[in-house]
Amino acid sequence: MSYKPTLTRTWWLKHRFFMLYMLREGTVLPLVFLLCSLSAGAFALQSVEQFASWQRFMANPWVVAIHTVALIAALYHAFTFFKLFPRVMPIRVGTKLVPPAIMVVGQWLAVVAVITVFLWLFVFSGAAHGIVAGPGGGV
Amino acid sequence: MAANKGMQQALVRVKRYLPEEQQKTQSEPFWQEFTVPFDESTSVLDALNFIKEELDPSLSFRWSCRMAICGSCGFMLNGIPKLGCKEFLRNYSVRTSPAQKNTATNTSITASLTVEPLAHFTVERDLIVNMDEFLIHLEAVKPYLIAETSTQKQLQPSLQTPAQLAKYKQFANCINCGLCYSACPQFCLNPEFLGPAAIALAQRYNLDSRDTGKAVRMPMLNSHNGVWSCTFVGFCSDVCPKQVDPAAAVNQGKVESAKSMLIQMFKGSTAHEL
Repeated sequence: MSYKPTLTRTWWLKHRFFMLYMLREGTVLPLVFLLCSLSAGAFALQSVEQFASWQRFMANPWVVAIHTVALIAALYHAFTFFKLFPRVMPIRVGTKLVPPAIMVVGQWLAVVAVITVFLWLFVFSGAAHGIVAGPGGGV
Repeated sequence: MAANKGMQQALVRVKRYLPEEQQKTQSEPFWQEFTVPFDESTSVLDALNFIKEELDPSLSFRWSCRMAICGSCGFMLNGIPKLGCKEFLRNYSVRTSPAQKNTATNTSITASLTVEPLAHFTVERDLIVNMDEFLIHLEAVKPYLIAETSTQKQLQPSLQTPAQLAKYKQFANCINCGLCYSACPQFCLNPEFLGPAAIALAQRYNLDSRDTGKAVRMPMLNSHNGVWSCTFVGFCSDVCPKQVDPAAAVNQGKVESAKSMLIQMFKGSTAHEL
């Protein structure tokens, strides 16, 4: 005679650690919406009307709100990922382990570098060449 | 531990399961409450021993060393897997209300905790779980040095530098207490999952400069029940009493697994044929 307790559907509500884990995994939901929106944009390139319709969709306050949540979710996921990274791929220089804090800071600096490059490419460089984004705009 | 004057009182709720009683009544496991005297130095294991010696000799639980070395006294304390000998009742203090006053001894309950058997394992009796599944997983990863078999090599000393030792030392501190399995929801959903301690042990030997058995262990780690069943909840590392960080070991195993699968892909065979 013996018994084995089973995992209930609410197991993740029993500890803050599990709730944060589910929050981390849940960040995929708004990001899936963002990916669908961007994919729809790619298909909308087939005609001017379709692209204008897609631009109106993207300007909808609800869509903007969900995309803002997606941005926050992506940053939170990056925060958790960067924190875990030194444990998954510890880097040794000679006999010494690179301190995890330096690896975390290095990853955030890489994020800032990528954002700067894209801002320069799509905003500042685009503005300099007279490219205007937004509904009704275009090359 | 005898009840002395001036000691505080703790309410300890223990999840009981008596198979012989169950057969008679067909009832579920039940909760039993005990009032236990404690001071600053009373561990949860001390409290359980007090219950067994002074209040109810039928209570069953495993224990041995009392100093977090043997890994026998793992329990769920307030729902978190912990070693009974490493936890103290003073850390479970509660604000006393008049209702909690023990009228018989005119003392108040100042600490309260629940003790359950380790989660995700089959319970045999009271706080005793069946660890067979866990031990099978440990054995499966071949947790021993697989070295060169030539007699000439065997006669040579196996030298290791401090830097080579540092690569795996953390993973060698595991005491096989099983707390990480109780913290892992993936192990509960899929008991075939090798689990945190077994994979940490595999990594411990894979990273050992004296070992040549990585190719033998990788097919197991590459499989569905190996490293890829882990979703990096990470609670296993949080509850580990020896700071082994099994979650790091499992996820380092994913990097190794991905590498070995890529190499095999280019070589033209599957990972299972390693």
